[in-house]
Amino acid sequence: MRGVIQTAALATVLTWGGASWAATAEEGVARAKAQVEAHRGSPKFVAPGPAFDIKACAAGKKMLSIPNNSTNPFLKGIIDRMIRAKDDTGLEVVEWQNQGQPSQWVQGMEFAAKNKFTAINLISGIDPKTIEPQIKAANAAGIKTMVSHFYDPSQPVNPLVSSSVAIGFNAVGKLLADWTIAKTSGKANIVIIKSDEVPPTAPLVKGITDELAANCPDCKIVQQINVGVTEWGTKIQPSVQAALLANPTVNYVIPIYDSMSQFVVPAVALTGKAATVKIATFNGTPFVIDYVQQGKVEMDIGESIDWIARATVDAHLRDMCGLAVPKELNVPFYIFDASNAKEAGTPATFDKGYGQDYVEGFRKIWKTAP
Amino acid sequence: MTLKTVERFALIAAWAAVIVGFGIALPGVFLTWTNFSVMFASQAPAALLALALIVPLTAGDYDLSAGATVTLASMIIGVLNVNLGWPILPAVLVALAGGALVGAVNAFFIVLFRIPSLVVTLSTASLITGLVQWMSNSSTIGGIAPGLVDAVSGGQLFGIAYAFYYVLLIGIVLWYVLEYTPLGRRLLFVGRGREVARLVGIGVGTVRAGCLITSGAIAALSGVIYAGLLGAADPVSGLNFLLPAFAAAFLGATSIVPGRFNPWGAIISVYFLSSGITGLAMLGIPMWVTNIFNGAALLLAVTLSQLVRGREETDYA
Repeated sequence: MRGVIQTAALATVLTWGGASWAATAEEGVARAKAQVEAHRGSPKFVAPGPAFDIKACAAGKKMLSIPNNSTNPFLKGIIDRMIRAKDDTGLEVVEWQNQGQPSQWVQGMEFAAKNKFTAINLISGIDPKTIEPQIKAANAAGIKTMVSHFYDPSQPVNPLVSSSVAIGFNAVGKLLADWTIAKTSGKANIVIIKSDEVPPTAPLVKGITDELAANCPDCKIVQQINVGVTEWGTKIQPSVQAALLANPTVNYVIPIYDSMSQFVVPAVALTGKAATVKIATFNGTPFVIDYVQQGKVEMDIGESIDWIARATVDAHLRDMCGLAVPKELNVPFYIFDASNAKEAGTPATFDKGYGQDYVEGFRKIWKTAP
Repeated sequence: MTLKTVERFALIAAWAAVIVGFGIALPGVFLTWTNFSVMFASQAPAALLALALIVPLTAGDYDLSAGATVTLASMIIGVLNVNLGWPILPAVLVALAGGALVGAVNAFFIVLFRIPSLVVTLSTASLITGLVQWMSNSSTIGGIAPGLVDAVSGGQLFGIAYAFYYVLLIGIVLWYVLEYTPLGRRLLFVGRGREVARLVGIGVGTVRAGCLITSGAIAALSGVIYAGLLGAADPVSGLNFLLPAFAAAFLGATSIVPGRFNPWGAIISVYFLSSGITGLAMLGIPMWVTNIFNGAALLLAVTLSQLVRGREETDYA
């Protein structure tokens, strides 16, 4: 009798435990689905701060924008749009063209100091710690150095820079994880392709791992493959092929930057896994949105570079004029999948698909609306 | 068995050892036909690039522009086929002609102005890289016609994608020309001693120019295959194939026909190195280890070969 009671008690505990485990898993999937849905609607403009007269603020000011590398079309596109937005903002923006060499960034900093720029914008990828002596010199000359689209809100900002408008790489990671959880009903087995040398990688990958831990007890990161940026073309494809062949349960590959996906797509095709292995990624690069249209990539999280350009000018001018500076760019992430990838155009372009809500939104808070 | 016979087949033995080693470490995973068929196909651009390099190397010239030519050829296809809507076949032909033209430009400066090949091809590599950035706006061009994708990776023969058979084809042609034709002998003489070759009446300039043009054309074919594998034209990554391809060419020169750049040695080297990379990746070992594997394999092979050959002349010494 005692044995029966013990067995019954154990069964009850197991049933309750199992039920609670299942309930947790189901709740996690529901939370993931809700997150995904929240990023599928038309992106809405959120004012980055109180309205101000931007043209009065920008009068007589000029900003030198130094991208990580001028051959990167994403960064070049942002700067071109900052320059073109002068009609709306009144700010003169000049690009310091370079090929990604720190010695060229140093030259740019010195150029700004000698040519009486009001501010320097380090955009997406120049870590201020690599050019600290030049930032100090600029500060001494009364030129503020500002950083955009580089730090995650969770990362400490270099104390030498005047302000930083961060981008939620951690949030991107969470959204990528939520997508795989939602699509596999909590059974995602993931291979992550990353480049640890790029600073946003750490918060982005942490976002993936944290969200899987929070929302998906049965999901697994099967392998994380770290490939240096210069080796993407030679190492990603063979390593993804090896990972897929060695781990037949893998159902998602997440190349965390979408330009990696051109090497993941053939790896998935050659291993004959196109039907079972899906690709989810981030950046909204046009040719990858084309891949989404063609069914080679399942989803790509994009951000409008024109929106980034306006948000960057807005934040930096607030800094130049002594106003409160937003901590984040507040440019929404938008999911492109088979259902909406055509909104980005065929072939896709950088700015299509995000609506025009933000253009009017910025004009209103800048007091330039007709 | 003489020491030289051992040397001749040492690389194949090392490859077999790597395969057996990973086969034991990864039971049921590494030693599968799928793994090898995927590897044979996906390494085809690298193998073709190594084959492109051994032609001018045999004649004593370096072609540092070959990696950039890979990128140029794939980008020509991207621009013509995707952006300008050309049918795929003419786009491929223009890409191959573009590669040959790069070789001709290299030859013009190297042969006519007697500038060292290292300097000329370094310059043209940089020039082509800039040209490709201009053509592509530094962006990948996706959506290359399915016809090319089918001809490279879509169709299969004996379970291996067609890409691999282009490597075999070029390998056979080069092997035949280098081993069994007077042209192959002339090429070797030019590489071993230009003045001597000139004195015996070999048209040294013509041979060198021919080698550089051939190298450009084969590198362009590598770019065509790369575009077919990816289904896209990528503006940078062809450049990163250059050093591994040189490594494979030199590693290959220690085997099959030791002391000479030879196509089978180069092809085996590419697949030996990629077997190592694949096995390490399957074990989940970080990617930096693969660079150490590649570097150590090359250094060890060339050193051992040098020890075996003593003071005997080689193509790479």
